[in-house]
Amino acid sequence: MADFEKISELMQKGRADEVKQLCADALAEGVGPKEVLEKGLLSAMNIVGEKFKNNEVFVPEVLIAARAMNFGLEVLKPAMVDGDMDEIGKVVIGTVKGDLHDIGKNLVKIMLEGKGLTVIDLGADVSAEKFIETAINEKANIIACSALLTTTMTQMESVVKAAVDAGIRDNITIMVGGAPVTQKFCDSIGADIYAADAATASDKALEVCTS
Amino acid sequence: MTGKEKIIAVLNKEKIDSIPWLPFAGVHAGKLKGYTAKEVSTDAGKLIDSLREVNKLYKPDGQPIMFDLQIEAEILGCELLWSEDAPPTVASHPLSDVSDIPTHIPAVDEGRIPLSVEAMKAMKAEIGEHTALYGLITGPFTLASHLRGTNIFMDMIMNPEYVTSLLEYTTRVANAVAGYYIEAGMDVIAVVDPLVSQISPAHFAEFMDKPFSKVFDYIRTNGAFSSFFVCGNATANIAPMCMTKPDSISVDENVNLAEAKKVTDSFDIVIGGNIPLTSIMLFGTQQDNMKNTIDLIDSLDNTDRLIIAPGCDMPYDIPIENTIGVQQAVHQTDQIRAMVENYECTEIVFEGELPDYANLERPLIEVFTLDSITCAACTYMKASAMDIKKHFGDKVDMVEYKYTEPQNIARCKVMEVKQLPSIYINGELKYSSIIPNRAGFVSEVEKCL
Repeated sequence: MADFEKISELMQKGRADEVKQLCADALAEGVGPKEVLEKGLLSAMNIVGEKFKNNEVFVPEVLIAARAMNFGLEVLKPAMVDGDMDEIGKVVIGTVKGDLHDIGKNLVKIMLEGKGLTVIDLGADVSAEKFIETAINEKANIIACSALLTTTMTQMESVVKAAVDAGIRDNITIMVGGAPVTQKFCDSIGADIYAADAATASDKALEVCTS
Repeated sequence: MTGKEKIIAVLNKEKIDSIPWLPFAGVHAGKLKGYTAKEVSTDAGKLIDSLREVNKLYKPDGQPIMFDLQIEAEILGCELLWSEDAPPTVASHPLSDVSDIPTHIPAVDEGRIPLSVEAMKAMKAEIGEHTALYGLITGPFTLASHLRGTNIFMDMIMNPEYVTSLLEYTTRVANAVAGYYIEAGMDVIAVVDPLVSQISPAHFAEFMDKPFSKVFDYIRTNGAFSSFFVCGNATANIAPMCMTKPDSISVDENVNLAEAKKVTDSFDIVIGGNIPLTSIMLFGTQQDNMKNTIDLIDSLDNTDRLIIAPGCDMPYDIPIENTIGVQQAVHQTDQIRAMVENYECTEIVFEGELPDYANLERPLIEVFTLDSITCAACTYMKASAMDIKKHFGDKVDMVEYKYTEPQNIARCKVMEVKQLPSIYINGELKYSSIIPNRAGFVSEVEKCL
């Protein structure tokens, strides 16, 4: 019988090889890949996200857990069939133009993937046009913008405006976050969602995609 | 007591009557003189000019020379992305794909260290007598991350020996640069390491305790005081930071200052902080800044071993009057507490009558100040108005309204005066916070004659 708790425990500790092996064992026992993914890997990432939010784990622990999750996914993905990978929702994420800080953005990406969402990562220094173009091409549900600087956070407003200009504002949720960003700022630029941390961002994104 | 004496007394854990004030005007200093962030980061003359203005307007007890965590990284091969309204950002990490340990230690004549040292020496000569000067260096962990990139976080778990070796190297760099800055006359060396908030106390103990202890020990041995600056939610690491024995710690608004102070007090270490940079200093009003500062001071069990400072490096565009508001609240706490109460009291009704601005006999210069005796910027603003009055004599009227009087607060509300100090001519706002130059002021008045 697949030991989901063990998978979760090892994944939280970042023990990638063991996670990979346990995922392979579970498949060999006949457990469906979707079940291993949800009860093992994604549930572990939820726990990591909560602990991160509560200051119980920090950046290295999140990154190492994400690495272990990817090791597990390597085994699970080939075994998945149509229907296992139903897309819950798609998020285009990036750090805004002029800003090269990507630690926070990467953490949000990890947590979004931990919710089973599909994430298109545009990296750092991303122009408003690039966000919009990608969101249209990928038929994304959400654009998630990150900024660490008070001087670059204003770029988020350009993203909102570009969405209006492209005629997609009503069809896309714009989410903002980063050290200097606040709910008040989010409201002032007409964005939809502010999230203070990566776990909250992923909770809110999932809510948008499943409502 | 001079500002410098206050800072030094507090760092010596002595009890003093007032709280020292340490505005972190990095590139924001340039705004005071109309220079861009890049100009004050690369041109010693413009930097010194701006630092002089910070000292004049913000009346700091302690003042940093540069708040730039890219100086060492640039010398060690990181490319920088420059900005007109922010410090540069590291754009490439030379060790991102190779696990090497560099050996080069920046020399005193490399990169922008000469610029920094020149400004330090100039400010030491000009204001060093009365203002404690802070030399800021990049902390060993943040410097290691500049060199290695975000891989450093994974390395902490997967390649801990490498991280230890890299930190040994960046500690040597930190000590070298600290030495140059002490030599240039800095009273306090601040070791700035924002990334410390992103790791657990266990990782701090494993990797950071030794490097930071070494740096603080080096600074102490070389006769300067030290401070450990961190940004972000470093709550869990305050005690481990104290164990590295800095003289003081500075935190941003993500940390509850009252709670953190209990920890630093238990180690007999000074704490500095933590006026919110964005929500209050950048986007708030002058009133918000005064109130927030008073509330912050009032939230603490005691005001010993305390320095009031912005949470971190001040954004370039912080309105000047906001910083003046914070400075007044730190230096004249009781008086500003009363002002804030009066301002919030909606019952004060303006009992006077506003001048009939459209039909004045002669131009009317109105100077609105927090208090022209204690607020430096207000003193200069009033002096410039008095100078103009002297120039025009009986052809103009001039009056000062100090915010210390409830009726003057009521007048400000009626006239919608938002920033202090300000100068209005014939009921119209002409100058706010920045002291007008004489020629411009004269011509403004002449237009109304």
